[in-house]
Amino acid sequence: MAREILKRIGTAALTVFAVATLTFFLTRAVPGNPFLSEKNPPQAVLDALNEKYGLDQPLYVQYVKYLGNLLRGDLGVSVKLQKDYPVARIIGEMFPVSAAIGFFALLWAVLLGVPLGCLAAYRRGRGTDSALQVVCTLGVSLPSFVVASLLLFAFCGGIAGWKLFPTLFQAGDWRSYVLPCFSLGFYPMCYIARQSRASMLDALGQDYIKTARAKGLRTGRILFKHALRNALLPVLTYLGPQVAFTLCGGFVVETVFTIPGLGRYFVQSISSRDYPVILGTTLFLASFLVGMNLLVDLLYQAVDPRIRLGREAA
Amino acid sequence: MRLQQTPAPPPEGRPLLEVRDLRVSFFTPAGEVRAVRGITYQVDYGEVVGIVGESGSGKSVEAYAIMGLLQPPGRVVGGAVTFEGEDVLAFSPRALTTFRGGRAAMIFQNPMTSLNPVYSVGEQLMEALRAHQKAASRREAAQRAAGMLERVGIHNPERRMRQYPHELSGGMRQRVMIAMGLICHPKLLIADEPTTALDVTIQAQILELMKDLQRQTGMGILFITHNLGVVAELCHKVCVMYAGKLVEQGAVDDIFYRPGHPYTEGLLRSMPRLDDQERRRLIPIQGTPVDLLDPPAGCPFAPRCPHAMEVCLGRMPPYVELGPGHRSACWLRVREGLSTSPAGGEEASHG
Amino acid sequence: MADHKHPRPPWGSLQLRAGDILAWGELTPEDFRPAGSPEATAPLRPGPEGSYRRDAWRRFRGNRAALGALAVLLLLVLFALAGPLVVPYGYAQFHAGAENLPPYHYALADQERLEAELSRRAQAAPDPEEAVERALAEAQARGETLTAVDLARIRAEARAAQSQGAVSEAQVRRELGIRPRLGGYSREDLERKAAGEAVFPHLFGTDRYGRDILVRVMVGTRVSMLVGLSAAALVLVIGALYGAVSGYCGGRVDAVMQRIVEVIYSIPEVLVILLLSTVLGDALLAYANTHTGLLARAVPLLGKNLISMFLSFGLLYWVTMSRIIRGQVLQLKGQEYVTAARALGASGARIIRRHLLPNCIGQIVVTTCLQIPSAIFLESFLSFLGVGVTTPLTSLGSLASEALEGLWSYPYRLIFPAVILSAMILSFNLVGDGLRDALDPRLKR
Repeated sequence: MAREILKRIGTAALTVFAVATLTFFLTRAVPGNPFLSEKNPPQAVLDALNEKYGLDQPLYVQYVKYLGNLLRGDLGVSVKLQKDYPVARIIGEMFPVSAAIGFFALLWAVLLGVPLGCLAAYRRGRGTDSALQVVCTLGVSLPSFVVASLLLFAFCGGIAGWKLFPTLFQAGDWRSYVLPCFSLGFYPMCYIARQSRASMLDALGQDYIKTARAKGLRTGRILFKHALRNALLPVLTYLGPQVAFTLCGGFVVETVFTIPGLGRYFVQSISSRDYPVILGTTLFLASFLVGMNLLVDLLYQAVDPRIRLGREAA
Repeated sequence: MRLQQTPAPPPEGRPLLEVRDLRVSFFTPAGEVRAVRGITYQVDYGEVVGIVGESGSGKSVEAYAIMGLLQPPGRVVGGAVTFEGEDVLAFSPRALTTFRGGRAAMIFQNPMTSLNPVYSVGEQLMEALRAHQKAASRREAAQRAAGMLERVGIHNPERRMRQYPHELSGGMRQRVMIAMGLICHPKLLIADEPTTALDVTIQAQILELMKDLQRQTGMGILFITHNLGVVAELCHKVCVMYAGKLVEQGAVDDIFYRPGHPYTEGLLRSMPRLDDQERRRLIPIQGTPVDLLDPPAGCPFAPRCPHAMEVCLGRMPPYVELGPGHRSACWLRVREGLSTSPAGGEEASHG
Repeated sequence: MADHKHPRPPWGSLQLRAGDILAWGELTPEDFRPAGSPEATAPLRPGPEGSYRRDAWRRFRGNRAALGALAVLLLLVLFALAGPLVVPYGYAQFHAGAENLPPYHYALADQERLEAELSRRAQAAPDPEEAVERALAEAQARGETLTAVDLARIRAEARAAQSQGAVSEAQVRRELGIRPRLGGYSREDLERKAAGEAVFPHLFGTDRYGRDILVRVMVGTRVSMLVGLSAAALVLVIGALYGAVSGYCGGRVDAVMQRIVEVIYSIPEVLVILLLSTVLGDALLAYANTHTGLLARAVPLLGKNLISMFLSFGLLYWVTMSRIIRGQVLQLKGQEYVTAARALGASGARIIRRHLLPNCIGQIVVTTCLQIPSAIFLESFLSFLGVGVTTPLTSLGSLASEALEGLWSYPYRLIFPAVILSAMILSFNLVGDGLRDALDPRLKR
C-alpha cells in the first residue's frame, strides 16, 4: 500500500515535470523574445534580458536554470498586463478570489448532485427519475458560457423587473457570488448527479443488497447504510476531474461576470500574449490540479477498505 | 450417510412451510416469462428438503418468492406460501422485515459478493442481530456474534469480526454468511446453492457444518442446488424441478434408487458415483431447456426425453404416486399403471 | 428402506386409476406411441442471422429520446449544409445601412411613426452637452456662474433622462399600437420591398457590421460540427491504434506505453490545450511566414488556432479511447480464435485488424460518438475565450463571444447561437447514450 502511494506521488511529480518541460520548450518556440513587450527593443535592453534569462547560454543550461527558478518559486515577471510585476505575486493575489468561487460552486454541486442522483436511482423509471435525467443531460450539454451569459442577462437587468443581482462584481457582497457560483456549479452538479445515479443503481444491484434484504433490514437502512456508502466511493473519484472542470469553467464565468480572479486574468493574458503570465499560471494551475487529483486518490484509499490502488482504476 | 436424527414432530400438527401451486412470472418487454409454473411441496419442522434442477429451472426464483425478495419485473402471480400457518405473501412490508432474518433466513450462492465490502464482518453480523432484537446492547450483540462465529467454526472470532470481507477466504465468508443467517435462530434456513462457488474441499466442509448445525438447532432447511451429490449428503426429501415445474418429489432413497421420471434418471446418469460396481459412462442430457416465454402445452421435458410419446408433447402429465411420499409427473408411469392393472388403485381412496 | 424416517406427507395420494385417467383425458392407446425423434421436436429456435445488430437497432429504436435527438441532428446538418445555399447573404459579407438590425421589423409607415415619436421624445430630453450649454447660456443671461459640480449634475440628469427615453422604445411602440413583424429589414430593404422587389429578411438580425446572423450561425454550426467530427476521428485513429498495440504487445512495451498514458491522463487537458493553442498558434504563424509546404499552406487556409487545436486534440485527447481499447484487447486476446490465428501464422497487424478491432467495435462507436460533443464543447470554449476559430471564419463559440459585448441591447445575438450549440451538444449526447444502451446493454448507466 505504501508502495502504491509512493507510485502515485511519483506519477504526479512526473506530470508536473512534464508540464514544466512543455512550458519551457513552448517558450522557446515562440517567435522573437517572449519576455519583451516591444517588438524591437534597444540592444542594451535585449542584452540585459538575455543575460537575466540566460538566453545566450546553451539550451540545456537554460533548461536547468529554468527548473531551478521554478523550484525557488520564481515564475518571471509580467511583461504586458502589469509590467514587471512578478507572476508569482499576481497568482498569490488573484487565486484566492477564484478559489472561493470554485469552492462554493463545487460545494453546492456535491451537496445537491449526490442526493438527486440517489433519488433518481431509487425512483428508477418513474417520473422523478425521468425529470431529473432530462435536467441533468441538459446540464452537461450546456456550455458554461451559455449558462453564465444567459443568467447574467436574465437576472442582472436584461429582463425588466428581474434585476436581482448586481451587474458588477464586488468582493465581499454575497449577492455578487450567487450567479457565478450557480453557473459554475451547474455542470458539475448535473455530472455528479448522473454519476451518483449510475453508481447507486450499480450498488443496488449487488448481492450484498440482497443479503441485507434477507437479513430483514428496513428499506431506509438498506439504502443509506449499504447502498449509499458503496455508491459514494466512485463519486469521489469524479471529484478530482471535476475540480479541473470547475476551474476551466472559472475562466469563462469570471470573464462573463467580470470577476477579478485568476481565471479572467489568465484569459486576458492569453489575448494580450503576456507569455510569462500564461506559462506561470498554466504551471501553477496544472500543479494544483495534479495535487487535487492525488489528494482525491489518497482519500479514496483511506475510505474504501478493499481498495488496492492501481489495481485498475477504470 | 444421511442424517440419523428423526425430524421433530410438527407442533400443532402443521408443516413449517407449505408452498401450494406457487406461480412466479417476470414481465419483460419480450413478454411474460413464466419462471415458476405451479409448484406444491412442504417443509416440516426440522426437515431438510432439497430442490434440484438445472440453471433456469426456477428454483432460486421460487426461493426468493418465499422470502418476499422478488424484485420487479418479477411477481408472484398465483398460489400460496404458508409459514407456520401464516400467509407470507400477504405480509405487510413491515411484517416482512421481521419475518426475513428473524424467523426465516437465507444464504446465497456467491459469498464473495454477498457481504458488503465496506463494513467489517462483525458490523454486518451485529446488524443482523440488532435488526430483530432491538433491545440487545452493542456489547451483547458483539458477544452473540462472536459466539455464532465460533459455532460456524471460525477461530479467533474477535479478530475476524474486525476484518473486512475481502480479507477472508471464500469458505470463511460463507461461514460468516451462515452465522449471519443463524444469529437470530430462524426456524427455516433457505440455502441458495451455498457451495456452488466454493472449492470442492471447502464445499464438503460447509456441508458438514450445515449438517451439524441442523442437528443442533433442529431448524428446517430448504436446500437449493443443481448437485445431486450434495442432496444425498444432506437432505431428507428431494424435489426435482424442471422448467418451472416439479417433475418428481420423494424421499432421498426414492429419488436415488427408484427414480420415477426420465429427467431424474438423466440427472443421475450424468452424475459420477463412487459406489458403482460396473464401469459406467456418464451420459449427459441432450438438448436445451424450454423457452419459458412460451412454455409447451405438454411435459416440458418431452423434447429432450428419450422415451417421449405423442401424448407427452400435447398434455401435461398428472402426478402419479409411486410410493409413500414419492410422486412423479410422467406419462410413462401412467402407461405402466395401465398395463399392470390398477393395483395401487385400492390405496387411492385413502386421500 | 428409509421410508420409516419420513412421515407420510399430508398431500395425500394423487394416484389415479389408469381407467380414470383415460376416461378423464379421452386418451387412446395410440397416444402412447413413441414420438418421433426428440431432436425434430426440440424447441430450439436459433436466432436470425446478425441478430446482434438487429437487436441493437431494435433497442435504439425503442429509445425515443435518442431517436428525437437523431432527428434534431439531421435537421441541424441540413441547416448547416443547405442553409447557406438558401440564404442569399455571405457569412463575411458586410451590409452597409443594415447594422444592428433586430430579428424583427416594422412596416415602413409604422417605422416612420415610431422614429418620429422617438425623436420627439429625444428632443424633450436633450443631449447632455446641449443641456450643459443651454444651462450655461441661461446662467450667463442671469449673470450667474456655474461650478463644475453643477455642470456634472446637469449632465448626469440629462443623461438619465436620455437613457430613459431610449429604453422606452418598446413602450412607445406599445403606445402607438405598432406590431413587430418577423425578420429584420434595413430601411433600404423596406423601401425596395415596398417597390415590389423580393427581399430576403435577416431572420436572426444582423451584427454591428451588418453581417447576417442567420448565415453566420449556419456557418458556425458547420464549423463546430466539422471540428467535433474530425476531432473525434483523430482521437479514434490515434487512440484505437495506441490501445490495440499496447494491449496486444503486452509486457514491457505495454508497461512503458501505459506509463506515458498515465502521465498524459493526469495532465489537465484544457489548461494545456489553452497553452498550446496560444503558443503554437504564434509559432505556426511564424512558420507559415518563413516556410513553404503542406503545413505552411494549411495555416492561412484553416487559421492557426484551428490547426493548433487539432494538434492538441491529437496529443492529449486520445488517452480515454486508448484505455478502453486496450482493456477490450486484453480481454479478447486470451480467447481461442486469436491463439488459433496466431498458430496459423497470421501477423500481429493482421490479428489486430481482422480479429481484435472488429470485436470491440461497439465500444469504439460509443466512445467516438460521445467524443464528438465534448470536442464541440471544447471548441466553443476555446473560441469563446478567443483562442479558437477566428475571423473571418466563425463558430458558435466565437459568435457567442462576440455577442457578449452587446448583451444588454442585443440579447438575441447570444441566444441564437447558444440555443443551436446546446441543442447540438445535447443531441449528440443523447444519441451517444442511446447507442451505448443499444450496443452494450451491460454498460447501461
